[in-house]
Amino acid sequence: MRKAKLSLIIIFSSFVLSGQNKQSYDSLQISSNQRILNNLAGLPQGITLGGYGEVLYNKPENLNAEIDIQRLVLLFGYKFDERVQFVTEIEFEHVKEVYVEQAFVNYNLTQGLNIRAGLMLVPMGIINEFHEPTIFNGVERPSLDKYIIPTTWREIGIGLSGRLNRISARYQAYLFNGFLSHNGETGLLKGSNGLRSGRQKGAESTMNHVNFAGKFDFYGIRGLRLGVSGYHGKTQAVDGQNQIPGSEIGVSMLGIDGRYTYKKFSARGQYALASLIDTDLYNELTGRDLGSKLMGYYLEAAYNVLPFKNRQRLEGFVRYENFNTHHEVGNIVLKNKAFHRKEWTFGFSYHIAPGAVYKMDYQTKSTAISNSTKGQFNMGVGIWF
Amino acid sequence: MKKTVFLSFFLFLFLSLSSWTKELHSDRESKYILKETRKAISATFPFETFSLEQKEQKLNTSTFLEAHSFFNIISEDALKGYAIIATAPSKTDSFEYLLLFDLNLKIKKVKVLIYRENYGGEISSKRWLSQFIESPEDDSFVYGDNISAISGATISVKSITESINEVMVSLKRLESEKQI
Repeated sequence: MRKAKLSLIIIFSSFVLSGQNKQSYDSLQISSNQRILNNLAGLPQGITLGGYGEVLYNKPENLNAEIDIQRLVLLFGYKFDERVQFVTEIEFEHVKEVYVEQAFVNYNLTQGLNIRAGLMLVPMGIINEFHEPTIFNGVERPSLDKYIIPTTWREIGIGLSGRLNRISARYQAYLFNGFLSHNGETGLLKGSNGLRSGRQKGAESTMNHVNFAGKFDFYGIRGLRLGVSGYHGKTQAVDGQNQIPGSEIGVSMLGIDGRYTYKKFSARGQYALASLIDTDLYNELTGRDLGSKLMGYYLEAAYNVLPFKNRQRLEGFVRYENFNTHHEVGNIVLKNKAFHRKEWTFGFSYHIAPGAVYKMDYQTKSTAISNSTKGQFNMGVGIWF
Repeated sequence: MKKTVFLSFFLFLFLSLSSWTKELHSDRESKYILKETRKAISATFPFETFSLEQKEQKLNTSTFLEAHSFFNIISEDALKGYAIIATAPSKTDSFEYLLLFDLNLKIKKVKVLIYRENYGGEISSKRWLSQFIESPEDDSFVYGDNISAISGATISVKSITESINEVMVSLKRLESEKQI
């Protein structure tokens, strides 16, 4: 009882003290700074709304077309004060699947330095962070950003994001939860799409190893932006399973990306390499065919044919991709040639207004197996606001 | 017992600290903005002592110019230039930037003072902002043409470009009305 009393007194006094703090501050409020600046009084507070979406038509050669609301994402932001903001994106995939794509609190600590915590995008390559349909060419996202970098790759974590304005650079460093490699019944990672099926997406995710992700971006040369991203850690296996050798594997990933814009011309490229450790043990345990190295790159060039002063843009583009989820395999799995893929994409993005785009392209997809080339025609509409 | 005391102590510390930091944010930001503004004026103009005098005239507010403060820069009892602290939107927040003008309304300096959001902060790059000083004064700024793009910061790049264009339009209006 005495204990409770004492703590009550302390809590009460802390309220009183913090209240006093506020009072004495109020009398200081009308400082010269406050009076002289009109900016901060009008700061928008409260709710931000936004979103993006893609409705797509895919027609592979000799097959039926698929028409799909691939994704519709609604963004909500809430600003608590000048420094603290919550941002979330609720995603509907193929109309019927609901996901939370992002949900984090951004705390603007000092100029150019933010602490972020919650469900966030892993900074790896270009598309995983910047995937709104109006800011990339092609109806579909680059395939590299599906098979090697498992876009949209997000996990729960905490970290820093900062800028160095003098040298025009940005850095990000986070601790994240990792991929789930074994759910107690089966192994989730496999040869055809590498790490993709292991994403936990913040949904009742299990964790026994912390993973590190970081990115450094340099944009000090006009029109050019270069990025280097790294990821290092270990996959997770559920309780009871994680003691069994082969249930967890080591993951290291390197990404290098570049984007260049000069007047109406733009180009971008990306390289990604994932190195996995203990894949032999994993494949033996699970009967899977996971590769030990995943590698890929793509290059893209685009040109806007409309004059600058126009509100609209019409960009023709071409992209070449080469990636292999069996770049290297261990000792017990044979290389599957079908996993070494090459794709050409030709098409255009017609930006009918800033934030709204019509897209159309033709793709040829082949693998390392001879005579495997297949064509695909795609159309889509995309929005971002 | 010890536990309770410790817990209460931390709660106390937390509450007082949180109220302290919360209350001081806007004041701290104002101080920071003015300090950075003074620093930028000293670095941009040849005089060492000066004062800032708030102007009565107002610029037009718009989507890209949410709020602003407009000052005369006075040194040795003479008007030497103008300083505008403007607020413009980023993707989900807003930011403050500074514009310094000489008496001919030529831009002498652009600087991002406070950028809160994580996305789009690349516009604070000194090198990128220097484009607004180099461009011919009668031309408006066009994103992608005389103002180069920054991949991954499109919204904020467009926002500050449009914002500066709108400041220029307002200033030219005030000039034609002989208000400045």
